[in-house]
Amino acid sequence: MLEAKKINKNPYMPEKARIVRKYDLTEDVRFFQIRIINPDLVLPLTSSYKPGQFMMLSIPNVGEAPFSITSTPSRPGVFEFCIRKVGKLTTKLFELKENSVVWLRGPFGNGFPVEQMVGKDLLFVAGGLGVAPLRSLLLYALDNRELFGKIFYLHGARTPKDMLFREEFFRLKERDDFECYLSVDSDPLGVWPFDIGVVTDLFKYVKVNAANTAAVVCGPPVMYKFVVNKFLELGVPDNQIFMTLERKMKCGMGKCGQCVVGHKYVCVDGPVFTLWDVKNIRGLI
Amino acid sequence: MKRVPLSELERIYEALKSYGSVWVRKKNAYETAETPEELLSTVSKVKKPAKFIFLPEEEPLLAFVQDGKNVTFQEVIREAKGVIFGIPPCEAKAISLLDLNFLQGEGEDIYYKKRRENVLLFGLACLAPDSRCFCTTFGYGPFTESFTDIFGVVVDDVLLFEGITEKGKDLVKNLDVEDAKGEELKKLEAMKKEITERVKKLDIQGIQEKLARMMDSEIWDKISSSCLGCGACTYYCPTCYCFDIQDVERPNWGYRLRTWDSCMFTLYTLEGSGHNPRPELKYRWRNRLMHKFNYYPVLYQEFGCVGCGRCIEVCPVNIDIREILMEVKNEPIRA
Repeated sequence: MLEAKKINKNPYMPEKARIVRKYDLTEDVRFFQIRIINPDLVLPLTSSYKPGQFMMLSIPNVGEAPFSITSTPSRPGVFEFCIRKVGKLTTKLFELKENSVVWLRGPFGNGFPVEQMVGKDLLFVAGGLGVAPLRSLLLYALDNRELFGKIFYLHGARTPKDMLFREEFFRLKERDDFECYLSVDSDPLGVWPFDIGVVTDLFKYVKVNAANTAAVVCGPPVMYKFVVNKFLELGVPDNQIFMTLERKMKCGMGKCGQCVVGHKYVCVDGPVFTLWDVKNIRGLI
Repeated sequence: MKRVPLSELERIYEALKSYGSVWVRKKNAYETAETPEELLSTVSKVKKPAKFIFLPEEEPLLAFVQDGKNVTFQEVIREAKGVIFGIPPCEAKAISLLDLNFLQGEGEDIYYKKRRENVLLFGLACLAPDSRCFCTTFGYGPFTESFTDIFGVVVDDVLLFEGITEKGKDLVKNLDVEDAKGEELKKLEAMKKEITERVKKLDIQGIQEKLARMMDSEIWDKISSSCLGCGACTYYCPTCYCFDIQDVERPNWGYRLRTWDSCMFTLYTLEGSGHNPRPELKYRWRNRLMHKFNYYPVLYQEFGCVGCGRCIEVCPVNIDIREILMEVKNEPIRA
């Protein structure tokens, strides 16, 4: 099974990498494919991480920040990220052209417990940028389709133009080995062919064996409560409900104290937590 | 135990110097000694604790050099080698608590480790605990030797000392000094008892478990209401270690700098998206107190406080952590 290989002896020393491909997913969210330059490291690193892990991406003189890996280790070669332009580092990153150098260290975090999910039905709920880590797990599950039971993927966006990976999911929707439902909160231009409403409305399509389901949610903070209630209504047990969280992080190794929540470090003990964790550690969400 | 008269301290000084720098207690900070006389410092509580030596306020971790379009990273490690002479038990214990964070787990901090391995702690018993000290609360006291490499006590005009760790014992072995006299050891025992009793011990039994049930308590509003959020407590605290990493830009080069940070600051947890998981001072206070008295015990079975009283001394609005601990202890828990 997956066991992430680490890059350097000094965990603060990043590895040189190159933006090999980039394109806009929406107005302010861009997709990046980044390849480690050292040829000896490319395959070991890009085939061993766990979906749900993150990397620290940096640009010298600008800074460093954590980003979820959105690619799957089952398709090695590059790391993919889905990044929103919000601050100093991401603004600079958006100015870079293809073939520019950036620096990576990691991967960090616990990732999804893929081993525990084998044999179970999978239920994904993604909201907005929350698709980033979930796409990694979804693609991993689809690439290892025989390992899992039924797969339901629910994805909500604000409007059709805010939907990330729109074409990719339109394509995936045509597959008949899993169920993919997409919705938008509103459709001002009247172009949306699928459901309109909040993402929790899509639960009406879900037919899983709840007791044997791993349910995964990632999205804006406000979404968790509603989605988790839906999971519980279905009857998914606390310890099979997974959520991936974000915090400001600096070291990635549980040292700097920035991401601490209770006695847990989001960077080491997370970013994936179960509902059981969330109920027992106040302040997680 | 060995003995050396204070008038002959240069014999020890030379031996310590051969090991590297010799830091001694000055009023504001530990500074390197120029003369053997400086070993005689009587400062009982240095304002800036010894953590400044192991975890500098700022330190470059990596440097980047720009050569045309090419940027290369270089590891920068600020080393330290020598002996801290006169470090009191509370600060030595604080360093053992920092070790738990920096030397355990997968991300062993090579920067901290390099300094930690090369700096010996020559501890001295604390002969003048002040009104803010409450070290005995945490199961040790002004005469506890176990966190140091060499431990000594000044009895009248003689320094009695012994090696504690292997490194410390090696250093002591090579010194040309006599054994301590019987009456001196007797006097030491009497001093130990008298001075240890002088420290006011708090009863914080059960505080870890109590705090675990107080996440939603109104006590956090009360505690934080007079706090200014200035962070002085965390700055001077010998066990606080949280840090930030930022890039510093220079023409054609730059460096990745680690600087101290404080959980009492608004920006500490503020995310790029604008979301702040600890938006108010009360949540930051809760985190600070919980970290020291609940999270650290859960993670390492040790409190993250040594009872040195620095935070009480430096607080501009006189917040006293001892009073807060007692408030926590006495706060009723509503079901």
